[in-house]
Amino acid sequence: MKPATQTHDEPATQTHDEKVREQFGPRAAAYVASAVHAQGSDLDRLEEIARAAAPRRALDLGTGGGHAAYRLAPHAAEVVVCDLSEAMTAAVLETGRAKGFANLSARVARAEALPFADGEFDLLTTRFSAHHWGDFEAGLREARRVLAPGGRAVFIDVSAPESEAADTHLQAVELLRDPSHVRDHRPSFWLAALERAGFRTRALSRDSLRLDFASWVARMETPAAQIEAIRALQRGLAVETAARFALEPDGSFTVDRVFIEAE
Amino acid sequence: MSREETAASLHAVPASREISPKLLEALVCPLTKGPLEYRPEAQELVSRNASLAYPIRDGLPIMLPSEARKLDV
Repeated sequence: MKPATQTHDEPATQTHDEKVREQFGPRAAAYVASAVHAQGSDLDRLEEIARAAAPRRALDLGTGGGHAAYRLAPHAAEVVVCDLSEAMTAAVLETGRAKGFANLSARVARAEALPFADGEFDLLTTRFSAHHWGDFEAGLREARRVLAPGGRAVFIDVSAPESEAADTHLQAVELLRDPSHVRDHRPSFWLAALERAGFRTRALSRDSLRLDFASWVARMETPAAQIEAIRALQRGLAVETAARFALEPDGSFTVDRVFIEAE
Repeated sequence: MSREETAASLHAVPASREISPKLLEALVCPLTKGPLEYRPEAQELVSRNASLAYPIRDGLPIMLPSEARKLDV
């Protein structure tokens, strides 16, 4: 599939998958290096779970910069990283080798159509990926399908506030920043969707993630016009919504990060 | 089997197991102000920092340390 380049005056020509590849392929290195993605208490908890589970075969779905996979690798016999972007999986394999992990392999695939057999994995993680899935619930069903009965899954993503006004604001600025953004889901929707997909949620928690405005848009190379539009939306926010995101004068803001353990 | 029947038969808890979205939005430990972890199966809200599990009864979290279960650290 050839990623078409698209200027703003042309009609839509790209599929969602092409948009995701175009957004992330050229920026693979930025995501491997990103501090927001490479560090976090969520990764420490993920590693605790991996250590306790000691999986035979683990899958990191929508691996991006591979930061979850690097925490799984010391505790799993085998880790498969999966991403829509081949540039991302190549960068992860290279970084993994540099870190000394010999148990990483990669597959390029959509989350909604995984090229794996039923029950092939005993641990599945996905971190900061689900908001890009074109069909969120199909992705969750596929995750459940490839996970063995009793296998553990960890879902980490930015989540939307339960307040509708704040939710709409978040999706709007996310889409302006990244045209391949689909949706940050609310915790209540995660719980319901996981149940529909056949998962049993064991625990859900939320914490805060501050997004530094300058590096947030730089990582995605957001064009100036879209940056200005984001700033305009922020300037027009109701005080309670601005407070919900702890909006700062430079446009930096704080979102929720949801951490879900299911089986 | 409906969700209520499943909940009742498997976990012997009241039919209204669902926590409301508004409560999910406000998951903070009253003691530590730290995050709470929602555990649907146990119907508890766990504060790791306080080592307490607050019960959820009939869909309502009981945010009283005196009512909470002490967790082994």
